[in-house]
Amino acid sequence: MHSPLVPIPPRASQYGIEPELVKTRVSELPRMTSVLLKELFPDLPEVIYPSSEGLDAIRKASVAALQKVDMSKIKPEHSVNILASHHGFTLLGGEPYAELLRTIRDVVEARTGCHNIRLRAGVGLRFRETEEYIKRYGLDKDFNGKAIGVAPIDQGIAIETEIGTLYGIKKVYDADWIIHAHNSDVREVHFHRQVDRAVKPFGMSYARIETRSTYHQNLGPRAANFTARAIFDSPFVQSKFAFAAFLTMAPNGIVGVDVDSNLYALNDRVTEIGCRYYGKMMTLLGEIDECIAALDFPAPAVYVFSAGVIYANFAGANTDLYDLELPLPAYTWYTESFYGKLGRPLLDEIPPMNKAIKMTVHNYAWTGYPCAFFTEHIPTVVVGQEQAELFNRDPQNLNYMKHAVVSESTEDAMEFAYKASGTRKVIVFDGAMGGINVSEPLAELLLKKAPEVSERVEETLLPKWLRQRGVRL
Amino acid sequence: MKVVNLLAVVEQDKCRGCRICEFVCPVVAIKMENRMAVIDNGRCRGCAACEQRCPEYAISMVKREQPVFVKVDVSAVDYTQIEELCTKAKFNPEQLICYCTATRAEEVAAAILQGAESPEELSYLTGVRTGCKVECIQPLLRLLAAAGIEPRRPKDGWQWYGKTVTVWEIPEEVKQKYASRGFYFDEDIELLNRIVEAPLQGRSDT
Repeated sequence: MHSPLVPIPPRASQYGIEPELVKTRVSELPRMTSVLLKELFPDLPEVIYPSSEGLDAIRKASVAALQKVDMSKIKPEHSVNILASHHGFTLLGGEPYAELLRTIRDVVEARTGCHNIRLRAGVGLRFRETEEYIKRYGLDKDFNGKAIGVAPIDQGIAIETEIGTLYGIKKVYDADWIIHAHNSDVREVHFHRQVDRAVKPFGMSYARIETRSTYHQNLGPRAANFTARAIFDSPFVQSKFAFAAFLTMAPNGIVGVDVDSNLYALNDRVTEIGCRYYGKMMTLLGEIDECIAALDFPAPAVYVFSAGVIYANFAGANTDLYDLELPLPAYTWYTESFYGKLGRPLLDEIPPMNKAIKMTVHNYAWTGYPCAFFTEHIPTVVVGQEQAELFNRDPQNLNYMKHAVVSESTEDAMEFAYKASGTRKVIVFDGAMGGINVSEPLAELLLKKAPEVSERVEETLLPKWLRQRGVRL
Repeated sequence: MKVVNLLAVVEQDKCRGCRICEFVCPVVAIKMENRMAVIDNGRCRGCAACEQRCPEYAISMVKREQPVFVKVDVSAVDYTQIEELCTKAKFNPEQLICYCTATRAEEVAAAILQGAESPEELSYLTGVRTGCKVECIQPLLRLLAAAGIEPRRPKDGWQWYGKTVTVWEIPEEVKQKYASRGFYFDEDIELLNRIVEAPLQGRSDT
């Protein structure tokens, strides 16, 4: 057993409480420990970050990867939009992604002589989130004042696709060339099911509300991802696409940088690493029989991280999120919408939220994503009246606190959760790098179950998952 | 139902009259007067779209002294008509179409059957699309289309651009072309059809 790992610190943001109000982190409490992810799965790849080299490793890997891509079509008189998304800034403190963006800019300028290089950073449902990151990481200065956040309600542009007209954000496409700068972290597996993960931002953070609503309301849980492919494959987007540059992620950190002008080739590599390494981690989390989930990370409740996995995926870890034969995970927006007026699913086959989560302690998480479904289905204690009040002022979470109770301190909240749930197993979603902060009984369980899970994924599940996605190793 | 507990307030000395707040307001509650944004307090649904997109940070959201409860009375309409409209748009009447406000298809259908003719009017009457402001535009456009209504876009506005494809309309050649890449079109059609036909849990709010 190790000491707990250092969690990602609270961040000043309009979407969360003031950092100084976060008095205690859950990992600081007695009887908390940590497990290194390499102890669970020794075959996890070696990472370049975190490492002793720090951000230099990211710049070095980015420069090396960018050398391999053809930039000859970008001329000095052209304009280039480097397209970013909020998600990258939530990984490992955000600096690695910011460094990738800076490096792309610098290399493109040096290689092509083009100076009109802009950053267009898309968002999820917190429309000023990337504005905050641009300031935090000094990207406005790095991009000579040409860095802006863009939101899905901004002015749109019609894009003709093979399934009809869809809509992008005009400012995303207002350059001669676009560079898709993203990462392979799996994040919302419950939504994208690891299908075309690398393409998804074209239907989401670069897209208007009409397109995003098509994804989440019109196509169904397993056809939804086609929205992004349709836009990316459109003649309009293809006429502007230069290349993609990705941070390659594993649950234990950043493995490298992948650059390719063929997004689908890159996507196949992303699919394999996503299924293999994140698939193991999610399958292992699905083995947890009972626990308290502690949310303690600067992101909305669904997006808080533990072992590279977000809480939304843990809420659905009672089913195999990667198995496309299963239409609906326990949590997706489609699933949520299919609960009737009596609070039961409209179809008996819809799985319940992960019953292993006996209670949730919401120590620190942001607003800006509709999360009432979680408090409706999982007993939840929110720490601090200020945080409760913030949720009561969030148009997306006006029902969140209807189903949650408030505790004055982290210590009181956890004591209540221990007594009310009867379990001593705790998993902390606090973004700890390279490992997972848990209570001792849960550490023992994870270490015991991991070898069998690893074998099951390698032998049985991974071949099926890749076959379903048409990816050959 | 939506509880509207916030109100947008413009700091007039910061407003430069760019009209972005007017273009993004989902209930058309903002007009320009003398090149200044003016909020119709009675119409504002507290969604904060204007506050989040104002380039001058001239708009803030303040707590209303008295919250406003926004809801359309489903029982005021013959439920058979609601069922017919929802089914035509391929929704179960009890299906949630707005996750933020927990608005169900039946309430939007009831609003249409009582005369609402645009997404903006539906947002004003039910609160739908005044939470995240992103995900529920297509259900509104589908339900309006099912009622035979072609809504007009607000002049110059960015509130919405158009109805898009549903899974039932994906061309066969597209389905065939991408069948091996993990897109389960026909299987999702089968699932969604069963949702549409699933038994109701409560016939109406009453």
